[in-house]
Amino acid sequence: MTWHSLADEPLWYKDAVIYELPIKSFFDSNGDGIGDLPGLIEKLDYVHSLGVTCLWLLPFFPSPLRDDGYDIADYRAVHPSYGSVDDFQKLVNAAHERGLRVLIELVLNHTSDQHAWFQRAQRAPATSPDRDFYVWSDSDQKYPDARIAFVDTESSNWAWDPLAQAYYWHRFFHHQPDLNYDNPAVIQEMLGVMDFWLEMGVDGFRLDAVPYLVEREGTTCENLPETHAVLKAIRRHIDRRWPNRLLLAEANQPPEEVRAYFGEADECHMAYHFPVMPRLFLALHLEERDPIVEAIANTPAIPDTCQWALFLRNHDELTLEMVSDYERDYMYLAFGALPQARLNVGIRRRLAPLMNNSRRRIELLMSVLLSFPGTPIIYYGDEIGMGDDLQLGDRNGIRTPMHWTGDRNAGFSRAEPSQLYSPVITDPVFGCQAVNVEAEEREPASLLHWMRNMIRLRRLFKVFGRGGIEFLNPANRKILAYVRRHQADVVLCVANLSRSVQPVELDLTAFAGWVPVEMLGYTEFPPITRAPYFLAVGPYGFYWFELQHPA
Amino acid sequence: MASTGLSSSTPPDVAPAKGAAVVVGIASHDDEATIGTVARHVSEGLYPHRSAGCIVIADGGSTDRTLQRAYEAVAGACAVVTAPYERSAFEPLRSPYHGLPGRAAAIRAVLRTARDRDAKACAFVDARVTSLAPEWLPRLIEPVFDHGYDYVSPYYVRHPHEGAITKSIIYPMFRALYGLRIRQPAAGEFGCSTRLIPHLLDQGFWDGEEAETGIDLWLASAAAAGGFRVCEAVLGCRTHASRAETPDLSTTFAQVVGALFADLEARAETWQRVRGSMAVPAFGLPPAGGMSPPPVDAESMLDAFRLGFRALRDVWAWIVLPRVILELKRLAEAPAEQFRLDDDLWAQIVYDFALAYRARSMPREHLLGALTPLYLGWLAAFVMGTSGWNQKDIDDRVEQLCVAFETKKPYLISGWRWPERFRA
Repeated sequence: MTWHSLADEPLWYKDAVIYELPIKSFFDSNGDGIGDLPGLIEKLDYVHSLGVTCLWLLPFFPSPLRDDGYDIADYRAVHPSYGSVDDFQKLVNAAHERGLRVLIELVLNHTSDQHAWFQRAQRAPATSPDRDFYVWSDSDQKYPDARIAFVDTESSNWAWDPLAQAYYWHRFFHHQPDLNYDNPAVIQEMLGVMDFWLEMGVDGFRLDAVPYLVEREGTTCENLPETHAVLKAIRRHIDRRWPNRLLLAEANQPPEEVRAYFGEADECHMAYHFPVMPRLFLALHLEERDPIVEAIANTPAIPDTCQWALFLRNHDELTLEMVSDYERDYMYLAFGALPQARLNVGIRRRLAPLMNNSRRRIELLMSVLLSFPGTPIIYYGDEIGMGDDLQLGDRNGIRTPMHWTGDRNAGFSRAEPSQLYSPVITDPVFGCQAVNVEAEEREPASLLHWMRNMIRLRRLFKVFGRGGIEFLNPANRKILAYVRRHQADVVLCVANLSRSVQPVELDLTAFAGWVPVEMLGYTEFPPITRAPYFLAVGPYGFYWFELQHPA
Repeated sequence: MASTGLSSSTPPDVAPAKGAAVVVGIASHDDEATIGTVARHVSEGLYPHRSAGCIVIADGGSTDRTLQRAYEAVAGACAVVTAPYERSAFEPLRSPYHGLPGRAAAIRAVLRTARDRDAKACAFVDARVTSLAPEWLPRLIEPVFDHGYDYVSPYYVRHPHEGAITKSIIYPMFRALYGLRIRQPAAGEFGCSTRLIPHLLDQGFWDGEEAETGIDLWLASAAAAGGFRVCEAVLGCRTHASRAETPDLSTTFAQVVGALFADLEARAETWQRVRGSMAVPAFGLPPAGGMSPPPVDAESMLDAFRLGFRALRDVWAWIVLPRVILELKRLAEAPAEQFRLDDDLWAQIVYDFALAYRARSMPREHLLGALTPLYLGWLAAFVMGTSGWNQKDIDDRVEQLCVAFETKKPYLISGWRWPERFRA
C-alpha cells in the first residue's frame, strides 16, 4: 500500500528534504551519453528510497550550455538532449505519485545571448520595446560600483554588441545578458513562463541570482528596493493563482541582506543560508564550535512561514564569499591545498574529497545538516560519497555522471565512453568501481544506508524543520550542543568536532527529571538531574536525544 | 444525493436537504435477503432521532431488489436516501475478499453524505449483519451525542477462542502503537462525530489497493492517531451472511495483519511518540448467556507450526534474530503438553515481521504467509493454555500479552529507525 498523495500542506517545504540533481548527470536512457528525463524517471524509485521529499532539478531548458544550462535560450521548452515537454510532464506525474515534489530553476536575471528575445533586441531600434528587454548603454562606465562575479573570466559587467552598436549589461558571463526588470513587459513574460511550468504541476522555483535583477547608478546594483518590488509582484501572482507553491531565493549575501528576500512573508518562502556552510567545514577543521555558533547567532529572525535552505555541497564551488579574509585564507590552506581546486572565490570539490573520505567526518557534517534549523539539501552522489575530477574545467569536476554500478560508464550510460558528456571518476579511491549505488545497496553498513536511515529519522520529527534552536555552552569547545524545540518535541543534539573522544558536561537543569532517549537506537539514558549531565562522545561522534518529559 | 438504481415501485428519496442530526449508512450489494431486517432495525434503533435521522443506503449497483426491500422495511418511518458507490474492479491476481466489494468506497459515500447534511453523528453498518438489533444504534450514536466521543468502536461478544487474530496481534499491537485499548479495532461497524468526519475523509488511504480489506482498521487508527476521543460500544454477537466463499485462514490473516503493518508505515511519525496506553470507556453490557465454542483443533495447529518450522525456517531466518530461530526450534521439538510460546517472544516475532514488511525484505504476501504458521503455533499454545478458563481469566491473559507488546515497543522503534540488517 502507498499513501503517497501530496498533502495539502502550505508549509510542506519546512519538513522537506531536498535532493539536487542535474538531469544530464543522473541516468542516460537512450545511450547518447547524456542523462535525460526518461532516465531520471527510471531512477525515481531510487530517489524515493532515499527518503527525500523534493527534487531540485538544475536547468534543463534549451541552451548553448556555456554555463551548464544557466544560459537559457528558451524558457518554455526542454533541451532536446534531455527529452521533451511531454517527458517532463511524465516526470512530474511520476514524482508526485511517489510523494516527491519537484522544484525547478527559474533564471530570472539573465538569458543566453542565443535567446530569441536577445537576438530580437540586438536588431531592434534603440528605443523600441524589443530593445528594452535588456539593459543597454552607450558607455561601459555605468554602474561602476557593481562587483564582477566571475573574476577569473570576466573583466567588466558590460560587453559591446556590434549588431546593436551598444553595450549590454551582464552580471555574470558576457554571453548572459541581463534582462531589464524596469520593463513591465519582462515581468509579464516571466510570470507567463512560471504559469507554463506551474500548470504542469511543478511545486516551486529556485530563483537564480535574485539580488541582481535591477540596476541603479551609485549602488552596487545588489539587493535594491526595486528588485524586492519585482519579487513581491511574483509572490503576489503565485499566491493568487498557485497556492502551496514555493519560491526559493538564491542570494549569495550575508544573512542580514538575505533576510530582506523573505520580506514580511511576501517575497520568497525560502532562501539559502550561505555563511553556515563554509563555517561548518571551518569548525570541523579547527575542532571548535565557535564558527558555527557565531554564524547562527548572526542570523536574523525570519517570518514564521519562511525557512532557510541548508546545504553542505552543491553544483557550485564551496563559496567563501561570506567568510572573513582570515577564514578564507584558512579554508584555502585547509581544504584547497591543490591550486586546481580553487575557483573564483571558493573551492570546487565534493563533500567526500573535502573530508579526505573520512566516513565519520562525513556522517558528522550530515548529522549537523539534518538537525540544524532549516531544510536540508543533498547534492546527488554525496549520499554514496562520490568524488570529483579536478582535471575538468570550471565546476564540471563536481558534475560528473552518477555512479550506479562498477561497470562501464559507472552504469550511467550504454554509450561509448568517449561519447559521455563528461568522463566518469576513475581514480582508485573515488572511482566508480569503489563507490557506486549497487555496491552500497548490498553493503549493510554503507554510507547510502546510513543516509537513508538518518533522512527517515529526521522526517519523523517535525522539530527539525520547524523548531527553534538554543545552543548550550559547555566548557569543552570541541563539543557542539544544541536543543531544538517545537511544540511538545524537544531534541538535544551533541556533536564532537574533534578526532578524539571528548568528555562534556551539559547544563540541562531546565530539563531536570526528563529522560534523554537516544534517537537512533531508542536507548534510554539516565534521567537528567540538576547536576551537570555528563557524556563522553567518540571521535567525530554525535548523539540525537529525544528528551522525554516524565509522564 | 441523487437517487439511483431504484425500481419503479420504490418510493423516491425522502430526506431533508440539510440538517439531518444522525446519518446511518447501510452498505449493500445484492443483499435483498438481509437488508430488510437490517434497515427495519436501524429505523427502530433511530427512534429518538427519527425526525432528524436519515438512512443512507450505500449501494454498489445491486441488480436484485435490495433497494426496494430497504425502502419497504423503513416504510417512511425516517428519511432514506441512496448513495451509489463504485464497486472495485475484479483483479484476478488479488486475494479473494469475502466482504463487501468496494467497502471503502461505500464508507466514504456515507461519510460524504453525512458531511453534506451537517450530521452531528454518523454510524455505519453492513446490510448482511444478521444479528443487528435495534439497540446497536443508540450504542453507536449516543456516546457521540451524550458524551462527546468522536469514534465509537464496536465490541462484539465472542467466545474466548474466536477472534484470535485480533487477540494475538491486532489488539495488542494497535494498543501499543496508539496507546488506546480498543479491543476490536478492525471491527465492521462504527459510529463517529461530525468533528471526525472531515478528518477521516482527508486521509490518504481511500483509494489504495488494500483499502477494501484495511479500511475498518484504518478508520480506528486515524481516529486514535488524530487525538480524537474514542470509546467502545458493546454490541453483543455479530453474525453475518457471507457474500462469497470464506477465504482460507492464510488469506484472511494476510489481509488483516497486512492492513496493520501498512498502517505502521503511514503513521510512523505518530506511534513512535506514544508511550503506555489507557483504557477507553465501553457503553452497553454484554448479553447474558454462554456461547458455543468454535471447533478448535490445537493438535492440528501445532502440526502446522511444526511443518512451518521445517519448511520455512530459512525464510524466518531472514526476518527474525538467530536466537528466535533457536527458540522456535526448541518449540517445534517440544511435546504438546510443554508447548508454551512466551509473550515476549511472540511480541518480538510480530515486530520483526512488521519491520521486514516495511523493509520489503521479501514480497509482502510471502512474508505474511510465512507468519501464518507462527500464528497457529501461538493459537495452539493459547487454546491449550486457556482450556476451561472463564472470560475474566481470558481477559487477564490477553492483558498480559498486551503488556508484553507495550514493553517490547522500544524494540520496534529502534528496529524501525536502525534496522538490524544495517548493523554496522
